[in-house]
Amino acid sequence: MAQASAATAHAHEHGSHEHKELHGILKYLWSTDHKVIAMQYLFTGMFMAMVGGFMAYVFRMQLAFPGKSVPLFGYVSPGRYNALITAHGSIMIFWVAMPVLIAAFGNYLIPLMIGADDMVFPRLNRLSYQVFLLSVIVLLSSLFVKGGGFGGGWPAYPPLSANAKYNLTPLGSSMWLVAVALEFAAFLMGGINFITTLMNARAPGMKAYDIPMMPWMVVIASIMFMLSVGPLIAGAIMLFFDQNLGTGFYDPSRGGDPILWQHLFWFFGHPEVYVVLLPAVGTVLEIITTFARKKLFGYKTLLYTAAATAVLSFFVWAHHQFIAGIDPRMANIFTVTTMIISIPIAEMCFVIIATLYGGDIRLSTPMLWALAFMAEFLIGGCTGIFLGASGADIYLHETYFVLAHFHYTFFPIAIIGTFAAFTYWFPKMFGKMLNETLGKIHFWGTIIPFNLIFIPLFILGLDGQQRRIYDFQNFPELRHLQPIRILATISLVVMLLFQFVFFFNVIRAWLKGPKAPKNPWQSNTLEWTAESPPPHGNWPPDRMPKVYRGPYEYNHPDREDDYWPQNIPPEPEPAPSPAR
Amino acid sequence: MQTPIATTRSATGIPTGRLAIWWLVASEIVIFGGLLLSYVMHRIGHPEWAIAQAHTHTFVGAFNTFVLLTASFTAVKGHEAAEKGDGKRAAKFLYLTMGGACLFILVKSLEWTSEILEGFTIQANGFWAFYYTAAGLHALHVIAGAIVIFFVARDAAKGRNLQRVEYVGIYWHFVDIIWIFLFPLLYIAK
Amino acid sequence: MSEQDRDTHQHHPDYTKIYVALVILLIISVVGTFSGILWITFIMAFGVAVVKATLVAENFMHLKWEKVVAKWVLGISLVLMLLFFAGVSPDIMKDRGLQWVNNADLAATARGIPDEEEPGKGAPASAAESAKAAAPTQTAAAAPAAAPFNPETTFKTVCAACHGPEGEGNGPGAAALNPKPANFTDPAFWTDKTDSILEKAIRQGGASVGKSSAMPAWGSILTEAQAKQMVAYLHTLKGK
Repeated sequence: MAQASAATAHAHEHGSHEHKELHGILKYLWSTDHKVIAMQYLFTGMFMAMVGGFMAYVFRMQLAFPGKSVPLFGYVSPGRYNALITAHGSIMIFWVAMPVLIAAFGNYLIPLMIGADDMVFPRLNRLSYQVFLLSVIVLLSSLFVKGGGFGGGWPAYPPLSANAKYNLTPLGSSMWLVAVALEFAAFLMGGINFITTLMNARAPGMKAYDIPMMPWMVVIASIMFMLSVGPLIAGAIMLFFDQNLGTGFYDPSRGGDPILWQHLFWFFGHPEVYVVLLPAVGTVLEIITTFARKKLFGYKTLLYTAAATAVLSFFVWAHHQFIAGIDPRMANIFTVTTMIISIPIAEMCFVIIATLYGGDIRLSTPMLWALAFMAEFLIGGCTGIFLGASGADIYLHETYFVLAHFHYTFFPIAIIGTFAAFTYWFPKMFGKMLNETLGKIHFWGTIIPFNLIFIPLFILGLDGQQRRIYDFQNFPELRHLQPIRILATISLVVMLLFQFVFFFNVIRAWLKGPKAPKNPWQSNTLEWTAESPPPHGNWPPDRMPKVYRGPYEYNHPDREDDYWPQNIPPEPEPAPSPAR
Repeated sequence: MQTPIATTRSATGIPTGRLAIWWLVASEIVIFGGLLLSYVMHRIGHPEWAIAQAHTHTFVGAFNTFVLLTASFTAVKGHEAAEKGDGKRAAKFLYLTMGGACLFILVKSLEWTSEILEGFTIQANGFWAFYYTAAGLHALHVIAGAIVIFFVARDAAKGRNLQRVEYVGIYWHFVDIIWIFLFPLLYIAK
Repeated sequence: MSEQDRDTHQHHPDYTKIYVALVILLIISVVGTFSGILWITFIMAFGVAVVKATLVAENFMHLKWEKVVAKWVLGISLVLMLLFFAGVSPDIMKDRGLQWVNNADLAATARGIPDEEEPGKGAPASAAESAKAAAPTQTAAAAPAAAPFNPETTFKTVCAACHGPEGEGNGPGAAALNPKPANFTDPAFWTDKTDSILEKAIRQGGASVGKSSAMPAWGSILTEAQAKQMVAYLHTLKGK
């Protein structure tokens, strides 16, 4: 983290000529600049990704070599195993995917891409990060308190999560709940900021259909988050009271119902996965238009499809509860809606393919990540269809098939999406260029092992291997699958080792990489018209950009250049490129 | 911190602050909606909770409803004054609203104390669990609203940021509307 | 702030009139509780609430004059709440299915009923009782089981929820049941029942004797001897 701060300060001092921006430690406590806050979210999120990844290493080592002490960790008891998988899931979704894709890149890019000097509520922005940081501290502390961290799975079903007699982690379970609640509060605050900024603070001339896809996606995601999290907040309060005040909201012997929690959780939980999906798709769209030098095929189609996905995502939640004892008539309905939601997602895939078709494709590192996102997410999406059929789900629920399915969706979103966005916008954010060769080595070193981890897990799931089990040696009929478990674990270790290439690349670029020009990728969107990195206020106040066209005018017949930035006024003579 | 140019823009025609408050209200609707609907579902499935519910004090609830309605009235009168640019008058009305909030909390504290002393604690049964949770969450919003109103009123008295009188008013009216539904749910529908 | 100052064409209805209307509506809703007729009380209470909320929203929050986007934002959140209710209520509102019975919940219901033999204590007794009984999980007849077995107390705490305190089949839980619970005061009930049938129904549930499965199986908390005592008690309810 110290390296990160030093490097960020270094990068910012480069750009901040004019405004009275704070320096040193004060900047990180009090700055309201959206770029500083974005960096804070980014580095916190990436730190948590390392924590979550390490946890995955530990529990996968336990699964592959049961009972053996795990290097760098020690023995994994059943209780610790449960705490590790719970924390891994919670961290990756709430403390990696959301902060990096939405809070970090959303915060950084929305003002820049719409031509604003900051978010509309900078102090609320700062508060949201501070609350978020508090949630990180509470969560990490919960792992070290008496009894250890909560081990009831990230969906935290009662009665296990409600009753310390069952979960054996009285402090840990409450702290986990408080951490999640704080994270929700942080994102509610952030969401209001993003939505209002996009709705109101656009550059003059930027009509709704001139907004690039990334801000749209982050804002649609924020709206979905805000509307879906409400019932869960109510449910979390009830769970907290059950844990600590002896109420019986989820206790059938007291007139409560555990299924209520499941509904409250998944009413949020399902839209949540699309909340993290959409910004990743937004990143991919920005990248492919830039590196295929081609206009987005069907901007409006895509926008309406994204909106349709958002709406439909609220109608599918009980597919997580098919075998929980819900009303079977509901299961019918939710199967149908779950099948239907695959249609807009498929439509988005078609738009992306159509955009690439006939393009002048440059296979840079960001482009590789974007293409990998498509391929891997496709596998994830298709396997979701098996699970969405309630009949098949009777067998597949709670098996490793589910695990593999959601890693084939979440990994593209949270990890591939992050690397895509990071490598694409790194020049803008840090003012330096990353090394392409190292980038490609890192890319292949991540993608190939990733598939070797999770394709075996589909096989394990179909063979009947259940989730959340600490040691499969206790299941004689599953023992023969141990080689597959070992293969998955070794692939994970290899993948984690390749991440060192990424860190090496990043740190080397920071310290002595080539300086980045304003617009190294020759892209159209407004962020590329600011300095790399942009100063406080993004542009001089008297030269805020104005917008004259849509964001994806590549290879336009009226232009000599193969790109046409949004802010160039329509001149008769071919204007020289603003920056090269 | 200087207000960014971004905050002054308004592509929708609604001022940024007010737009933000509408989104805040929307997010609160789903929070309270989730809680209250969970209560309704349980209540319909547990007809015997009527016996517990009989012990709520309808007149106290009605009085509190009256207090909140009046506080909403003073809030909107404050907005009317702020619109005309009269910050001092607006502040006076806002302080009255704050007073209403405090009275509401006071009455509720007394009500809850008497109920707890009668043995109706939050653990007593499902009805009381929901009763304290729903009314408690609402009360927290009343307190938060009162605090914000205090700061807005202080600024308004000095003639600063008069537009915030309207925005805090919208939040306050929403808190009133929640109680408008809580009152029949908890006190009347027995 | 300049662009925003232009938005000052606010309409100001007569707030005092609206306020008076709100107070009158409040009084109506309270008065409605004294009508004694459940449906009138409900309609007045909730109907009035909707009207009051609309008045406040339209006039105090100025939604009447606000740009339509704000109404969409609020409207969508309300629609979502309907969706939430529609999706969740089939599971939560009815926790007694046709194929199964929620024994633990029935017992909790029974504990929630105040002990009518001691009017002075009234609800607090049951509140304390249910708090006590709730602490050890899953022992439905905890209170009677701790003391020497008393059929009358057991009837009142476990059975009366559905069968009513006098065994007339009119307990609060009966409202949700069809067919209605047995009415032990009715001579017609006793024409085709032997003691062993009754014991079997009590211990193994109504379905075991060809009756409704809504009658739970209490065999986990009543021994054979205790069930016999219960049947003897039921006989005393005849013709009451």
